Amino acid sequence: MRSAMKQIMIASMILAAATGSHAAEPLKFRQMAPIYVDGKGAGMRQPESVACRGNALVVADTGNGRLLRYAIAGETWTPSGEIVLPQLPSPIRVDMNSKGEIFALDGSSRKIARVASTGEFLGYFAPTGDVQGKVVPRSLRVDRDDGVYLLDVSAARVLVLDPSGKILREVPFPKGYGFISDLAVDDGGNILLLDSVRKKVSKVAKNSPEAAPLGESLKEEAYFPAAIATDKQGTIFLVDQNGSGIVILGPDGSFRGRRLSMGWKDGFLRYPAQMCVTENGTAFIADRGNNRVDGFLITE
Amino acid sequence: MTLRTKTALILLAIVSTAAISMSHAQDKFRLKPGAKGKVCLTCHEAFKEKLKLPFIHTPVKAGDCSDCHNPHTSSSGKLLSENVSRICFSCHEGIVPAKARSTHKVVTEGNCVKCHDPHASKNRNNLLKAGNELCFGCHQRIAKEVAGNEFKHNPVEKGCLNCHNPHGSANTASLLKSDVPGICVACHKPDTPSFGKQHMGYPVAKSNCSSCHDPHGSVTRGILWGKPHQPVANKMCNQCHLDPSSPEALKTRKAGVDLCRGCHNEKMNEIMGRKRVHWPVVDKMSCQNCHNPHASRENNLLKEPQPALCGECHQDTIERLDRSAVKHKPAAEGKCTKCHMPHSSNNVSLLDNTSPINLCGACHDWQKHSTHPIGEKATDKRNRNLTMDCSSCHAPHGSEHKRFMWYDVKMELCVQCHEQYKR
Repeated sequence: MRSAMKQIMIASMILAAATGSHAAEPLKFRQMAPIYVDGKGAGMRQPESVACRGNALVVADTGNGRLLRYAIAGETWTPSGEIVLPQLPSPIRVDMNSKGEIFALDGSSRKIARVASTGEFLGYFAPTGDVQGKVVPRSLRVDRDDGVYLLDVSAARVLVLDPSGKILREVPFPKGYGFISDLAVDDGGNILLLDSVRKKVSKVAKNSPEAAPLGESLKEEAYFPAAIATDKQGTIFLVDQNGSGIVILGPDGSFRGRRLSMGWKDGFLRYPAQMCVTENGTAFIADRGNNRVDGFLITE
Repeated sequence: MTLRTKTALILLAIVSTAAISMSHAQDKFRLKPGAKGKVCLTCHEAFKEKLKLPFIHTPVKAGDCSDCHNPHTSSSGKLLSENVSRICFSCHEGIVPAKARSTHKVVTEGNCVKCHDPHASKNRNNLLKAGNELCFGCHQRIAKEVAGNEFKHNPVEKGCLNCHNPHGSANTASLLKSDVPGICVACHKPDTPSFGKQHMGYPVAKSNCSSCHDPHGSVTRGILWGKPHQPVANKMCNQCHLDPSSPEALKTRKAGVDLCRGCHNEKMNEIMGRKRVHWPVVDKMSCQNCHNPHASRENNLLKEPQPALCGECHQDTIERLDRSAVKHKPAAEGKCTKCHMPHSSNNVSLLDNTSPINLCGACHDWQKHSTHPIGEKATDKRNRNLTMDCSSCHAPHGSEHKRFMWYDVKMELCVQCHEQYKR
């Protein structure tokens, strides 16, 4: 009896140790083949945004003033088209809805172009309904139900819109913010806001009227985080533009580690601008300073 | 020995030790009768002259040298009985208010002797120098400006301590005795006709006076900051604000960037027409993120000099620059706009030129005959989508390596591309 108890205790300790170490271990980024070119072999130039949904990847090839589409199959990718539109001379943020339509923010006009999956310009997407004041979107996100979230820096708020653009609600930026650069929406409908200056993440719980801080300031962990993304587990990824790395946070905002570093060669980053994570955990990073999109498989 | 005797002896020992300690605390060095206040002066004769000065530190006056000094040995300099940064606070504990909103750096660092003579002085409060001369010893920029000001602010001439607390202020910034405008309206009564006339009838009694006025005096009439915004200099407040008779007279005629566009339309069109805008330009504060709309001591109405202003958001860049052993000259001099366009640009990182080579070439003409291949035809061996430019080898702000290279030239830099030479 005593021997059996001892064995159970030892097994429990081993299990506890294993679980504990597992929780503390940061996620790993396993390098995949980076994307350098379009279907004709022409190189990217200063890509600033990526969006992934299902098997589709869209890249804002900002320096070349175009969008590039790729089909993802496992760890490989294939170019599936180039979109050049006069209404979109400088795409800086992209996302997609469930129909494959692309929402692309243009840096020059600061308008959002809505583009069909075929590449046709469908018009500018702007909020409708009772919208007070001017809207200047800095970033945007489309959730899994095709709801659209605009980061409006002009009025310091997030506008939550239905798929047609009708305003559902607005949420003010958190008190004492420095500069909110980006937003993400997790699978639970919670909005995450990234303050690049204060190096803080705030969370707007689904249907909550205000943002609340999520975790502490990341001053020690990040230089200038410029973009935020989540995966289906709710893990938060911050793209540290000036630190050329990725900061990983748990769903509660706790620091889980830092991955990747500055460099020119494959597997390194140089002033990355933004990232997206696919359903199966592949991260695509718009590596602006390296003129490419890096792919990494995120593993535990 | 019985248990009772043993207990009695132990108690006696404890009581004796306590008694000795107490007597030591009262006269810890057991000086000879009459020696107090005299014995130190037998060697430190120069102090006799010092003690003739009008203001003497209380313990010195009482001859209690050992209040601050240990006559035998010490781990602090000048045989002080505690670290120099803490010893004054052992008596002057409350000199800085608890949770003070602003504190004087020298006080928090325990550098009391930068202002006070710990023994005696010819100045009140044992100050090393009298009046503003003491403050101007460190605050030299203000001293220079005050000396050159055509329009003086009377309280400054009379003494900094008219408005500032020297140690710390519980509730106000900049060590002020009370908040602006309270401290100003104590003298400049807002209900007087001349006050109203000077301010064009606008209800500014509760406004921030230092938004327009330099409290230390100025070269501009009305002690406006040295570089006033033209409508302010022309007393045309209603160019931006509603009429003074309006119920919300201080409200601006338009919000944010749209207000500035009224006069600076051409500039705004230029800014907004480029591919990459500096986002603060279009946020809620817009122009006022960086510019003071009324007046400034800086050119272009900037709120602060460039490195401090840019560093409010780009703190990481400024800190990294501070840590860099080798700095790029414009960055070291805080001239961010030498390379970056502050409002918008068609180029990445808001650079002032599409080609990094041409950007550097504006100052470094030698790069045009550089021997290492650079330019559109020289592909970076590390990355097929990049061509060689100055930033392929140099960190544009600075680095720890010679000529602000990204890597050590001898061992790391060249072999990044020329891997065959790697040792």
